[in-house]
Amino acid sequence: MQRRRLTRDRILIQLLLITGSLVMAYPLIFGALASVSTLESYYESVWLPAPIPFTPDNYLIILSTQGQVIGWILNTLIRIAWYILVPGLIAVLCGYVFARLQFKGRDTIFILLLSSLMMPGIVYFVPTYVMLARWPLAGGNDLFGQGGFGFVNRWPALLLPGLVNAFYIFLLRQTYFSIPVDFEEAARIDGATTWRVLYHVYLPMLKPAITVMVIFQSVAIWNDYLWPLIAVGGNEAIWPLALGFQRIMFSGSSLKGQPGGAVILDYPFAFALATLATVPMILLFLVLQRYFVEGVQGFAIKG
Amino acid sequence: MTTTTPSITDQPALTSASERWRRWFYRRRQTVEAWVILLPVLVYYFIFNITPVLLNLFVSFTRWNGISGAPQWVGLANYLVYLKPPYPLIIFNTALFAFSALIIQTTLAFFIAVLLNQKVFGRGFHRALWYVPTLTSAAIMAQIAVIFISPYDGILNAILKSLGQPPVIWTIEATWMRIFIIAFSIWRGVGGPVVIFLAALQGIHPELYEAAMVDGAAGRQLLRYITLPLLRPMILFVLVTGVIGGFQIFEVVLLMTKGGPQNQTNVMLLQIYNDAFVNTNLGVASAGAVIMALLLLWFSITSIRLMSRSQEAP
Repeated sequence: MQRRRLTRDRILIQLLLITGSLVMAYPLIFGALASVSTLESYYESVWLPAPIPFTPDNYLIILSTQGQVIGWILNTLIRIAWYILVPGLIAVLCGYVFARLQFKGRDTIFILLLSSLMMPGIVYFVPTYVMLARWPLAGGNDLFGQGGFGFVNRWPALLLPGLVNAFYIFLLRQTYFSIPVDFEEAARIDGATTWRVLYHVYLPMLKPAITVMVIFQSVAIWNDYLWPLIAVGGNEAIWPLALGFQRIMFSGSSLKGQPGGAVILDYPFAFALATLATVPMILLFLVLQRYFVEGVQGFAIKG
Repeated sequence: MTTTTPSITDQPALTSASERWRRWFYRRRQTVEAWVILLPVLVYYFIFNITPVLLNLFVSFTRWNGISGAPQWVGLANYLVYLKPPYPLIIFNTALFAFSALIIQTTLAFFIAVLLNQKVFGRGFHRALWYVPTLTSAAIMAQIAVIFISPYDGILNAILKSLGQPPVIWTIEATWMRIFIIAFSIWRGVGGPVVIFLAALQGIHPELYEAAMVDGAAGRQLLRYITLPLLRPMILFVLVTGVIGGFQIFEVVLLMTKGGPQNQTNVMLLQIYNDAFVNTNLGVASAGAVIMALLLLWFSITSIRLMSRSQEAP
């Protein structure tokens, strides 16, 4: 009896989970199938488009005739590298400063940095835009920031804001606390400098926390939309991928030079763009999932 | 670091000078290293984190188009704008979307995590599937959502038609659009809480459940008296960060409804964006940002206080 009930419960739980997962994945599965369907078979389908005949045309068009798309992907990758390296370096160094060094005013400065976490991003957007537009001696501006456009629609607008990230400093500081100080002391007795201690002793042990940072930053920058829209909306060449893809999503018909493009929208083309924008982050997550789960687990259990 | 062994030929004055420096550095090493690292960080922080907040506060008391001329002091006029229609409706919509999505997705995430915490087949697979929507771009998926709800060639209406139902013109009905916006937020937002709750659940010692079961507790009671109290800090974390994130809903509204029909789905971030960059009225936009920051600050402090109070009580 007991056993049969347990089996029944298990099957019920499994059914619930599979249904839930299917609902969550439905738009993405739909998109992936639609992206390799022809326009005709797409419009004939209802629940899921059948990719018969299978056609990779949409992807070929995105990657070949639209040289722009490659540019947008590259722009995004440059930003991702920059926004992992600089905030990462700052977090590793500052985490050490706040976890391991004794000096006057340490806690005050730490709280000052953390206080920025309370602010919603929008508080920064408008004034940062104004500051970049009025940046002295940039983009035709004079010493007082008048006369030109400053950094608006230029690369610095995509690279300057948000380099000191209090969340990652906090995350790294917590990770330093979880590492016994004995390792550092042993290295110091052997005559290691602070730099060597950081590089050889701590860095390997910070790996899970840094991986969490890499995933979060990659996803955040890969999908970043509002700030690029505000800051570089007028310069297509340096758009990041999310902005560029969103803008050309419904222009598949005209790109393919189909007649009547204004009447029948080429949705498979839009789905191909969406799939292309989604898959890399899924792969990154799957590859780093183990570290990611470890990182979240450490955080969730310690509270 | 190489240390030279002092020999008798060394001049005593020189040795003591370098020795003094070494001793001074040894004593002050931590302070020196801390400030070498912190100084550039703090300079940057002052320029890009503190100045914008102060500038935003200042601009919120002025009339300024941000392009030409100097800001003119207008006192509280920009804040008073937020009392006139349609602004109260916009704040209401933002809160409605944020809280309904938050309550549904936190509850859903809790139960999904509890289910996944059983010994189920393919746990990692399910967890990944629930998290995947969080990895997508809000802007791109919002554009995809437009295809789903498109009135004439949309997917939802194709499904309705295949079931023999008349198609619905979703886009002109505020209620439907609100439901879609909330559903979209839940779809993209539920994964994080699932992963966090599941991690916290796996940190609970099985002995706790065994002890309770020996005492005669079962099913629902275990959930109510063991799981829920132990997960409370994580629930608080998910709720507070969820509200802060939920209030900043933007892409889906911009791309799905543009705030329409008649501001019925308009939200604060979209209005601030429009005030600043379409109407070039930076004063009102900045006032909106200040109001949002204050609302979120008030909410965070209240919920942290409530949660810590209920934790103290037995």
